[in-house]
Amino acid sequence: MSDDPLRALVHRQHDHECEGFGAARVCVKVVAVADLPTRFGRFRIVAFWNNRDAKEHVAMVLGDVVGASSVPVRLHSECLTGDVMGSLRCDCRDQLVEGLAAIQRHERGVLLYLRQEGRGIGLVNKIRAYALQEQGLDTVEANLALGFRDDERDYAVAAHMLHSLDVRSVRLITNNPDKLRQLTQHRVAVVDRIPHVIPPNEFNRFYLETKAQRSGHYIDFGGNPRLVEQSDPPVVEGVPEDPGGTPA
Amino acid sequence: MAGAAEVVVVGAGVCGLACAQALSAAGLEPLLLERGRGVGGRCATRRIAGQPLDFGVAFLHGRDPDFLATLRAVPASVLEGWPSEIHGTGRPCQPDAFTPGEQRLAYAEGVSVFPKHMARGLAVRVGARVVRLEVTEGALALCLEDGERVEASRTVLALAPEQALELLATLPEPPREVRSAAAVLEMTRSHACLAVLAIYPDDAPRPPWQMSYPETSAVIQLVSHDSSKRPGGSALALVVQGHSAWSRHHLDDPAWPEALLDEAASLHGAWVARPVAVESHRWRFARGDRDAELAAPLWLRLPSGARLGVAGDRFAPGGGVEAAWLSGRRLAERILRETRA
Repeated sequence: MSDDPLRALVHRQHDHECEGFGAARVCVKVVAVADLPTRFGRFRIVAFWNNRDAKEHVAMVLGDVVGASSVPVRLHSECLTGDVMGSLRCDCRDQLVEGLAAIQRHERGVLLYLRQEGRGIGLVNKIRAYALQEQGLDTVEANLALGFRDDERDYAVAAHMLHSLDVRSVRLITNNPDKLRQLTQHRVAVVDRIPHVIPPNEFNRFYLETKAQRSGHYIDFGGNPRLVEQSDPPVVEGVPEDPGGTPA
Repeated sequence: MAGAAEVVVVGAGVCGLACAQALSAAGLEPLLLERGRGVGGRCATRRIAGQPLDFGVAFLHGRDPDFLATLRAVPASVLEGWPSEIHGTGRPCQPDAFTPGEQRLAYAEGVSVFPKHMARGLAVRVGARVVRLEVTEGALALCLEDGERVEASRTVLALAPEQALELLATLPEPPREVRSAAAVLEMTRSHACLAVLAIYPDDAPRPPWQMSYPETSAVIQLVSHDSSKRPGGSALALVVQGHSAWSRHHLDDPAWPEALLDEAASLHGAWVARPVAVESHRWRFARGDRDAELAAPLWLRLPSGARLGVAGDRFAPGGGVEAAWLSGRRLAERILRETRA
């Protein structure tokens, strides 16, 4: 046995089974824990198994969170194009990096990295949505059909992951007050909201150029409206909030 | 010029029926327009030598509790778990059909009892083929083949993507919403499927399986032992369905039924090529694949104020009859939300 509370979760949960969270009744458990030094700080990575699909969700953990209260928590949905490739069609990488940095500043916290994008054929349909944009077509309806909308399963999986980590209450890092409500519905105690403010950089400077706003959407460097992929309106330091760039 | 219905649904397959049924249950009066002679689309049963043979959808499967309850509420002989005796390790039409949690069933009377049951109490006009859409004030006019026009402020296209595209293409100066819908439909093309229905003499051997998915054939997707849905007196009946690429290449080849039976004979024995009665059917738009799967039906507001919905088996996760049913219901829910608001 281990006196490391995170590692202890692996043993404690090896036969965990519950009725599950949300409409899909998803149930998760902690199955592996390791150190993960990153360029954003020295984290621990916690791997989860779930009973519904092959998505391997993970948590990036800093400091003592097991059994702790008022833990800063950030929810991030996987975005291969943004997180990995550094795409400028979305804010995902900025949001991910700032999420990890915020946790670092608070010296404690959890970033849940939710493998949502691959849901069904999420990545394929995202690339199809980009292709539609390139034809000048970016209607809300097309995006809905292509799966571009908030998915409440995000919150169900996320809520179960927080329960699995035995986080007693959270300070949610978000600009989307709806996320607080959704998490609360899944019995997560949210005590506070920490605004998620992205520092300006050369890649998001278009936010500073208010003229880049056309028909309520921010326009990316390629002239395409940016799809909001993190269900979290981007807030950049020194810029008024997004005039309404949420597609769904 | 016919009177205006509250909602006109084009296509009385499972999706259109599920949509109309949900609208009707909420007090609306939808009108279904079906170009064929009957309802059900690919949930199709044809009577040969007294036997009801399923030559499109061979069996039903799913996991949505409401969908499964609907299937079991059909007043027919439900064959739970059919097919349970599987021959071969080839890929089924729907990859999810045999995954854990998925439930399968068939009806001894044929799969068309399901759409027929759904159609009860609904206003369905069969033999009504819509050939053109026109924009009128606040509505769409559906022009039928015989020259009649049906106007509707709310129209639902519950068709194969190719057929929906063909209709959308008839709209003069399509607005952005329609071009967007067309672009989405372009992304989800259908597979073709050629099908042979065959009845065999009394001395033909009875295959020990209910469904065969040959793993080695580039021609045959499946052989369904359809008469095993009716154990006892009925003559042996098989339905052979071709793989999508092979079917597409042979759609206009008059010799395809023989080719399909010959291939089945090479897999299961020479007797298979010698039925006593045989019929065939070409499914140009048989099904989608997982890569053609979309998340939700479309519900468009056209500049004229008219509403246009597009739904079908591609417009819900999972594909197949279950997805068709779910997408139809989901579109109905959106229509009803808007009606109440």
